[in-house]
Amino acid sequence: MKKLFSCLGAVLLSAGLAATASAQFPDRPVKMIVPWAAGGDTDNIFRPLAPLLQKQLGQPVVIANVGGASGTVGAREAKNSAADGYTIYAVHDYIHLVHYAGLTDISYKDFEPICLVSATPSVLTASPKTPWKDWAGFVADAKKRPGEITVGATLGSTSHIFPASVEKAAGIKLKYVSYDGLAPRMNAILGGHIDLTDSNLTQKGKVEAGQLKFLAIASEKRDPDMPNVPTLKELGLNIVYEVVRGLMVPKGTPAAARAKLADACAKATAEAEFADSMKKQGTRVSFLNEKDYAAFLDKIDGENKAIMADLGLMKK
Amino acid sequence: MLELLGSGVFTILQWKFFLPLFLGTLAGVIGGAVPGVTITMTIIVILPFTYGLEPLAGLAAMTGVYVGGSAGGLITACLLGIPGTPSAIATTFDGFPMARNGEPGRALWLGVWASFFGGLLGGAFLILVTAPLAAIALEFGPWEYFSLFVLAMAMVAGLAEASLVKGLMATAIGLLITVIGTDPIGNALRFNFGSEFLSAGFPFLPVLIGIFAFAQIMADVEKVRDPQQTEGVAAVGQPTLRISHLAIIWEILSRPVLLLWSTIVGIVIGVLPAIGGSAANMMAYDQAKKFSPRPEKFGTGVPEGIIASESSNNANVGGSLVTIMAFGIPGDAVTAVMLGAMTIHGIQSGPLFVSQNAEIAYGIYAAYILAHPLMVLIIGLSTIFILKVTAVRLAVLAPVVLVLCVIGAYALNNTMGSVYVLLLFGVFGYVLVKAGFPLAPLILGLILGDQIELNLIRAIMTDANPWLFLTRPISGGLLLAAALSVVFAIWQHLRHQQRISEADADF
Repeated sequence: MKKLFSCLGAVLLSAGLAATASAQFPDRPVKMIVPWAAGGDTDNIFRPLAPLLQKQLGQPVVIANVGGASGTVGAREAKNSAADGYTIYAVHDYIHLVHYAGLTDISYKDFEPICLVSATPSVLTASPKTPWKDWAGFVADAKKRPGEITVGATLGSTSHIFPASVEKAAGIKLKYVSYDGLAPRMNAILGGHIDLTDSNLTQKGKVEAGQLKFLAIASEKRDPDMPNVPTLKELGLNIVYEVVRGLMVPKGTPAAARAKLADACAKATAEAEFADSMKKQGTRVSFLNEKDYAAFLDKIDGENKAIMADLGLMKK
Repeated sequence: MLELLGSGVFTILQWKFFLPLFLGTLAGVIGGAVPGVTITMTIIVILPFTYGLEPLAGLAAMTGVYVGGSAGGLITACLLGIPGTPSAIATTFDGFPMARNGEPGRALWLGVWASFFGGLLGGAFLILVTAPLAAIALEFGPWEYFSLFVLAMAMVAGLAEASLVKGLMATAIGLLITVIGTDPIGNALRFNFGSEFLSAGFPFLPVLIGIFAFAQIMADVEKVRDPQQTEGVAAVGQPTLRISHLAIIWEILSRPVLLLWSTIVGIVIGVLPAIGGSAANMMAYDQAKKFSPRPEKFGTGVPEGIIASESSNNANVGGSLVTIMAFGIPGDAVTAVMLGAMTIHGIQSGPLFVSQNAEIAYGIYAAYILAHPLMVLIIGLSTIFILKVTAVRLAVLAPVVLVLCVIGAYALNNTMGSVYVLLLFGVFGYVLVKAGFPLAPLILGLILGDQIELNLIRAIMTDANPWLFLTRPISGGLLLAAALSVVFAIWQHLRHQQRISEADADF
């Protein structure tokens, strides 16, 4: 009986605490919607961030992988969630692309930006079974055989837009085959079932082992870890393509909760531990605060719209 | 490789991995032994407990369930004459007669040691073959995957015990379920009825839990008032299980051809996607009977029958693990859950799995090997208690399993939608069970639906020439095998029907 009372006491006490603490965001676990499958590159970037955010917020941050339909299912769930700060949405450039491709009516404007977290430069990667030694060899072959060189890509997403931009700038014609996600693309390219794909520096080990070839990197400068890979800029193509990832919350989330999340994000992304795990993902930490991220989103939305229109992928 | 295996064994021997492995094996043995609870169900029940563990700890627990469950079925099969799992059906044929003839201990331990040796031989295969097979798996382009899936579906539909037509229909239903949702290539919405949740298609694990656990438990609930459940215990009475282990082991090892052949049957069926232990034990038993000099004795309690059935179903586990680790394709519903658990932890299985996650891969090997002595130990110490568990009233057991099913579905991605899917498919699966449809082909259709569509379209996107499916050697060979297996299934069904009509004529 005594035990029962002490249990009851504990329940009452914690209920009381919860009531007083409800003014203080957050007083219960925060859900982070990752709109792609676990184990993908987006998941690999936000998974190490979650415990660091948790440390700052003092409440568990639980990842919910809500994949499917090019990430639009997760976007919809995030948009329809209560705007109370307890649902955060992990996003990358696809939000602009799927909108302009007509896959969804949701756009980045349905959310409030919290922070930009990371940037991952794209690398044009070739199968070991291709005859080309470098970029020049690839372009020469592509000009000889228009529409025959195959590219594995998630159609309509960044891995499609990047090679398509290269295709246009280099004046060549490629053939696209649907391989959703980096892991299936890697299996296909190692087996020589596709010739080219968009990847990133996470595949460095395979290049060093001679299983893959990096043709060119789409960053401003060469990467210090892979100094032999030329940038597209050096090769005369004015293309810088980085996949950027950040956090957003549904529109209408109270400013106090947003400020708290933004502050937690700033501190979490500044930790050395986070930089280390990002390096393993071929990614650099690229923090922007609420205001700068908002401005940045407007800027890249315009750019993505232009690319989609340019490539003829825009929904009429 | 031996070094890696050694370090894998040392890793698993740490408490944080060994304890989940032990508990998993224990749960597997119990789940396997309790009639009506399958290995799939047990692993589904274990699933939510592994979310919070390290990936390897969770996988060790699941490997334990798989090994323990494949052996556990023999306890009730031998002592009560009721197969604890479908993979122990053939064990009842000779195990139970032997027990009734006054040798329950011999029947039980022949099964246990046959499982042990069959499992370890399967393990040797797993360790030696996975890496080379993964290299071959890289050579599999979209054409080969497509043809492999066609072969798998042809085989499973043909193996369906009920009828070839119902097997094919069940496969088709499984494929149709995967059509719902966004198409995997062009993102066009199909049959989502305006629902945002459905636009991602039905989430696989809740559907699986609904069909396999929920629907089957419901079918068992009907039997709650059935007195037959307790009858079995009386049939054997209080068994004396004391026997000489050396004599039993000798009895098995003195039949090396039988042991080896049954193991090979088990492994091959395990490697082929989605056929599973329930087919392995029947097939190995059938083979043993065919090659035996005294086939007429089968069914009266001969040791060969038990050895064939039990060594094959544990070897089958090794074969299934090869398929998920080298190809990233689930071999059956159990490995489908394991694959799902890997993805939850952010591990991608597939041809690159062993080379990229060597620590986890060798950890799984080590867990698989260590699970076997654990299984022997657990069965040795607890058979009497397990028999008592099987006497637990279903009225108590069923609600517990049902609640754990719901928790497992919800915890997958913390969405209520998954729970509704579970309920919907629980009811749907129950209707199918009642209508006499086999569920294994349905699950296979469900597992492979998206993949078969993706690979077909990928193949055509890569090269529009449809003859490539036949002219690429591996792909063509697989399609030929698929055609042969359908022909074989038709022939077998015809022969079976003929036998039935002959039997009728005798009356």
